[in-house]
Amino acid sequence: MSLFVRNTLIALLIAVAITGTVAYAITYLNNARIAELSAIEDQLSIDTLSLDTQFSLLEAAPCESVASSTTLTDKLADLGSRLSVAENQLGSDNAQVIRLKEQYSLLEIRDYLITKKLAAACGAKPTTVLYFYSNAGDCADCDKAGYALSYLRDTYPSLRVYSFDYNLDLGALRTFIAVTKVKRDLPAFIINGRPYYGFTSLADLEKQFPKGVLSTSTPKF
Amino acid sequence: MSPEVLVYPFLFITIFFESFLLVTFLSQPARTCRLTTTVRSFPKVAVIVPCWNEETTIAGTVESLLSLDYPQEKLSLVLVNDGSADGTAAVFERFSAHPQITAIHKENGGKFSAMNAGIEHTADAELVGFLDADSFVAPDALREIVAAFEESDVAAVTASMSIHQPRTLLQRMQYAEYSLSITLRHVLASINGLYVTPGPFSFYRRSVFTELGLFKHAHLAEDMEMAMRIQRAGRRIGNAIRARVYTKGPPTFKRLLKQRIRWTTGFLRNLLFDYRDLIGNRNNAVLGMLILPLGLAAIVGGISLFIQAIVLGIDRALHALSLVRTVPLSYTFSWHQVTWFSFPLTMTILLGAMLMIGTLAWMAVGKRLSKTPGTLAFNVVIYLLLYGIVTPIWLLYSVSDVVRGAHTTWR
Repeated sequence: MSLFVRNTLIALLIAVAITGTVAYAITYLNNARIAELSAIEDQLSIDTLSLDTQFSLLEAAPCESVASSTTLTDKLADLGSRLSVAENQLGSDNAQVIRLKEQYSLLEIRDYLITKKLAAACGAKPTTVLYFYSNAGDCADCDKAGYALSYLRDTYPSLRVYSFDYNLDLGALRTFIAVTKVKRDLPAFIINGRPYYGFTSLADLEKQFPKGVLSTSTPKF
Repeated sequence: MSPEVLVYPFLFITIFFESFLLVTFLSQPARTCRLTTTVRSFPKVAVIVPCWNEETTIAGTVESLLSLDYPQEKLSLVLVNDGSADGTAAVFERFSAHPQITAIHKENGGKFSAMNAGIEHTADAELVGFLDADSFVAPDALREIVAAFEESDVAAVTASMSIHQPRTLLQRMQYAEYSLSITLRHVLASINGLYVTPGPFSFYRRSVFTELGLFKHAHLAEDMEMAMRIQRAGRRIGNAIRARVYTKGPPTFKRLLKQRIRWTTGFLRNLLFDYRDLIGNRNNAVLGMLILPLGLAAIVGGISLFIQAIVLGIDRALHALSLVRTVPLSYTFSWHQVTWFSFPLTMTILLGAMLMIGTLAWMAVGKRLSKTPGTLAFNVVIYLLLYGIVTPIWLLYSVSDVVRGAHTTWR
């Protein structure tokens, strides 16, 4: 075997080994991301169930004795951001990503319902935003709307923002869409029960919020 | 399908090539080439300096040649004034009385004609070398070159070029690029894979000219054509890694573009029009099966990756701009925590980073082995910032010129 052939074969082996190792490392990292998401979702699932149960058990008890769901909402927001990263890395058609999104949507719906129950029982008036988007290429303004909502959520932590992929094939979500009567005119928002469609600017979106909601807390940015 | 997938074949080919370089660098022939050289005999040597309007640099070039550590009676210089319109002839006069120097004045006929005119005055030289009139050499360079001719089948020997005192950003970029070229030339020469004998301080046995003929116009790339001719004849082209020659890289983008278009069109035209038989040639498998195909692939890859990067870059920049304009700037530029989870690590980024580290390592190796003076660190940063942007521009121009049959000029 000539030196050239020998070196070519060795180089080919090295190149395959390097590429394979890198591909393995990236797959390992993505799996770790999925595992992290699953772990967070499991914990959230338990927390949500716990809050729900606690609320049912102590229905007649003073509101102060029921743990607030605010921390759950913060965790949900963090999970949403991570899910978005995973979706970008693995693709929106990845089976694991879809499963995690379904689970996430269920958690959001449950948290939304608990928040409403707590509000009704304790007389609180939380500002909730249901945001419906699509990443199937049929919603040109969804990215901008999502970014604007991230800004509002980070700036006004008392806002409770729930994001839903309108195209997700999940029974509970379909029912939720039917109940809230959201049309397929995306991006769509339901702000404290009032629907609002399309996104033009942050200022226009802010006008849809009840008066005083966005001025009661000091903006961080 | 992610557009990133289109990058994978080029990344794999580049990883393969860097691996091939590493394996060959560690192989016996390259290790032997790196051994300390001792000159056993001093053959008669002639150095030809073709000049065309080189009044500002020629004196330095000649003085560096006269300072070569080589027996004076064995070294002669032939200065060829190729119809210069500036003060080159006057500078020649200063050296005309020197016993080692022959000065020739001729009508302008192009660099190859000046080189050929010089060869006619080197009848008693066993080795004939050339030095561009904007370059100069280290005192021990000729000894290193002569030592590399020890093996009888070596027909030509190349030196290690570097950029002299880089000042502009583009010269600094070229300094790093030339450091990489030193390693490439050293490794590829060890397995006879060179397809160019550059103008600065390449040497030939006299038999090359008597048996294979003189230089040709060769699409303004006479050094590539001659190297390809030597390879076609089944002879070897060696390299003396410690033979340092310094050249003045083009300081401006316009001049650099001109130079690189000349090089790239010269490569494409010589290879595709006149030496197509070398591609795939099994007699010299290194060149025919690897180096030349990879050279063509590098041009295709460089252009296609650049176009892809431009299209994707504009698309993403516009998208990012539309997002940024949605909310106050203070939010976009506020600190957002980056964790391992959100760190954008992809195949392309990881493989690209590895290749970049590999390339930087080869630059450092080239500089160290050739003992080239200067600082690499800052120049490497400039290289990383600029090379990927400027290279595709001359590749695009070159391919366009070759396809359209456009005329290429020297300056």
